[in-house]
Amino acid sequence: MNIGLFISESEKAISNIIDLQSLASDYKNLASVKIFNNLCSSTSIRAVQEEIKTKKLKGLVLAGESPLYYKKIRNGDLLLKTIHEAGINSNMVSFVNLKEQVAMPHRSDPSGATKKAKVLLDVGIEKLRFTHDVDTIGVTPKKSVAIIGTTIGGLFAANRLLERGYKVHFIDNVSLRDLGDYKTQAMPTLAYIKNHPEVTFHTETPTEIYGYAGNFRISLGDYSLRAGALIVAIENDLTYTEALYPLIRIERDDSGFFKPLISDTSTVETSNQGIFVIPYVKDTPLSYIIALSDSASTLADSLLSKKEIEHELFVSEVDEEVCGGCGTCIKTCIFHAAELDPIKKLSSTNIKRCVGCGNCVSACPTGARDQISAPTKYLISAIKILAQYQPSNNIKILYLACEGCGYPSLDYAGKMGVEYPTSVLPLSVRCAGRIDTQLILEAFREGFQGVVICKCKDDHCLNIVGNIDLDRRANLFRAVLKSRGITPERLRIFGVSECEGGSCVGSAVEFLDYLRNIGGKA
Amino acid sequence: MGKVNVATGHLQGCFGCHVAILDLHEDLIGLLESIEILRSPINDVKEIPEVQLGILDGSVTNTENRETAKKFREKADKILAFGTCACFGGIHGLRNLHPLNDVLKRAYTDTESTLDGKIPASKDIPEMLPHVHSLNQTIKVDYYLPGCPPTPTMIKKALTDILNNREPEIPTKNLCHECVREHHEMYIPKREFITENVTTLMELENIDPKKCFLEQGILCMGPATREGCDSRCVKGNTPCRGCMGPTPDALEQGAKMINALANILPAGGLMFMEDVVGVGYRYALPVSIYPHVKEKKTL
Repeated sequence: MNIGLFISESEKAISNIIDLQSLASDYKNLASVKIFNNLCSSTSIRAVQEEIKTKKLKGLVLAGESPLYYKKIRNGDLLLKTIHEAGINSNMVSFVNLKEQVAMPHRSDPSGATKKAKVLLDVGIEKLRFTHDVDTIGVTPKKSVAIIGTTIGGLFAANRLLERGYKVHFIDNVSLRDLGDYKTQAMPTLAYIKNHPEVTFHTETPTEIYGYAGNFRISLGDYSLRAGALIVAIENDLTYTEALYPLIRIERDDSGFFKPLISDTSTVETSNQGIFVIPYVKDTPLSYIIALSDSASTLADSLLSKKEIEHELFVSEVDEEVCGGCGTCIKTCIFHAAELDPIKKLSSTNIKRCVGCGNCVSACPTGARDQISAPTKYLISAIKILAQYQPSNNIKILYLACEGCGYPSLDYAGKMGVEYPTSVLPLSVRCAGRIDTQLILEAFREGFQGVVICKCKDDHCLNIVGNIDLDRRANLFRAVLKSRGITPERLRIFGVSECEGGSCVGSAVEFLDYLRNIGGKA
Repeated sequence: MGKVNVATGHLQGCFGCHVAILDLHEDLIGLLESIEILRSPINDVKEIPEVQLGILDGSVTNTENRETAKKFREKADKILAFGTCACFGGIHGLRNLHPLNDVLKRAYTDTESTLDGKIPASKDIPEMLPHVHSLNQTIKVDYYLPGCPPTPTMIKKALTDILNNREPEIPTKNLCHECVREHHEMYIPKREFITENVTTLMELENIDPKKCFLEQGILCMGPATREGCDSRCVKGNTPCRGCMGPTPDALEQGAKMINALANILPAGGLMFMEDVVGVGYRYALPVSIYPHVKEKKTL
């Protein structure tokens, strides 16, 4: 397979610390190695497209900014789309975070940073050896939107959508919320909505929401609705937020309210495609709420006016030669995405429900289930590669970071200028629930003195129970560590929120001190 | 076609696998028409002759085992790791959880019934290796047949395959696949644990012979264990202990079983069970990811 390695200097932020030229020279065996000043500039994007086509690349390693960065800026998104259109499957692109997780936090140790960058690049390339193309399905979007919350924001969004010919389903536990100060201003809109034939009101609490952008199914007690998109506008109703959270799984702020993925540049988008949020902001002027509801309705419209929405099936897959139908995955999956044929004794994945979190992959006692985005063999191999990094004092820790909070918090620490030793070696996993205890054993075997798992705080797991299941497994697993003469203190689990980078790194540094003090004892 | 020359040998174990060959009964007579057993512990020939097939049972735990295994490898065209100990290190592999010295002290001096015991040491007896090993950690192995011991049906099928130049096929699914017990709760997509309590084997006067053990709160290793043994234990109303080893996609049994159990049975109950580690690694510790106790270093 032709693999390309495209490295970003990030306007010198990376190249000032890491010796990218010497790094690049280590990968001459790859089909293409290129260094860009800024990978996301328009010139770079054109060059990337050209290079993929001429070198017939089928796999790509993007080394530079954090993978989260590409999602946050428009050109980043464009870069990924260009790569996709040039013929590289999304699952065959791997990201190596040289900026936030190497250059920034290790700026006082350029040679250590360069060596660490090398192992991280090796991990990035390794991923492409074990992953395969992810399948896609085309969804014909439903011309309807469910608006959760009969609030001022919800009403204005409904107004816009009705004007553009969409059906609107209002869902809330009251037929109309108290609009407070805005009652008078909302009058005409309210009258328009109430008399519109394409509007329905539902006061039942949703019991289940699943499906994808373009076609969600919302169960309301004994009946269900279909909607192409969801707009969540429940302001500061914490009780309702708690009830909805397990169903829609979008980010929440520290007060527990739903929030957009990035509050400054895309104010209503969430990590769940097709679900938009009109976030609660205290004491906002009406004009701002209207701006938000306009954004939400515009984005819903541009999504649903497509002929077809392509959906990538980053799901759990089953090795049918190995699955014996024990039912463990059925018990594990909170999304009811694991299904079992009791006659054939074979489990399968319901692609409409599976979110790809990988909890069933950890739970599967046979190893028959695997995660398309990060197969077990890749993770094991990545741990072996990371273990090759030799810090000067020989004490190193594996830092398993969940994509929900652990990984972003480590990025945040880098951005905030927090420095920490290069001996903290990060490996990103989809969710804490994906952490199979086999990985922890592998880390100790390969010579890590400690393992840190950085996960979402208790009720903030985007996959609802991933962090709970990790704790359950880790609690039982500690007996295994003890039996090997490894003190269970060498495994640490931290719950952080995204913006607590400093504290999670601080705990890791303190952990390194602890490991140095106990040395080889226990 | 002439007969295939075979030698069998015994390393560390209970001899049960050799006895299992005798359990072939009349089938053994049929088999002996195609093979000639030139050497075995049963006919007590000491030298290892040149053979087409060498069958070894037991694990490698001392210098004598290691030497025998190497000699077999020299003399045999193909080697069959016969039984769980040869395949995975077996039950005595659990001694890897302790440093060798502690094991010897416990066995020869510290046991409550021992008076003036001392650890035997003589150049006439083989030296214990620091850790127990599976056969393929010592020599190259061509074929595997797990089971403690393998059933006569499995033995007959494997030998027939080998005689026909086919690699003996071992099943790949877990024991639940061939288990005939009834499953209800395990198939229901609900996050609740399937029982309120975990029952230890001591409390088992009233096990339902038809119902899944896990659904009765009894720890059964079936989900993390390869099928193919005809679920003898389970049919005999005894939960699976895992002798067939892990399935091919799992890296090891112990950690995998813990991952699964955490979602099936109440963890609180499991933690207070006497020996989660002994249950999970009963037969395959030497081939697990972290196969022995870490050596303690002092600063």
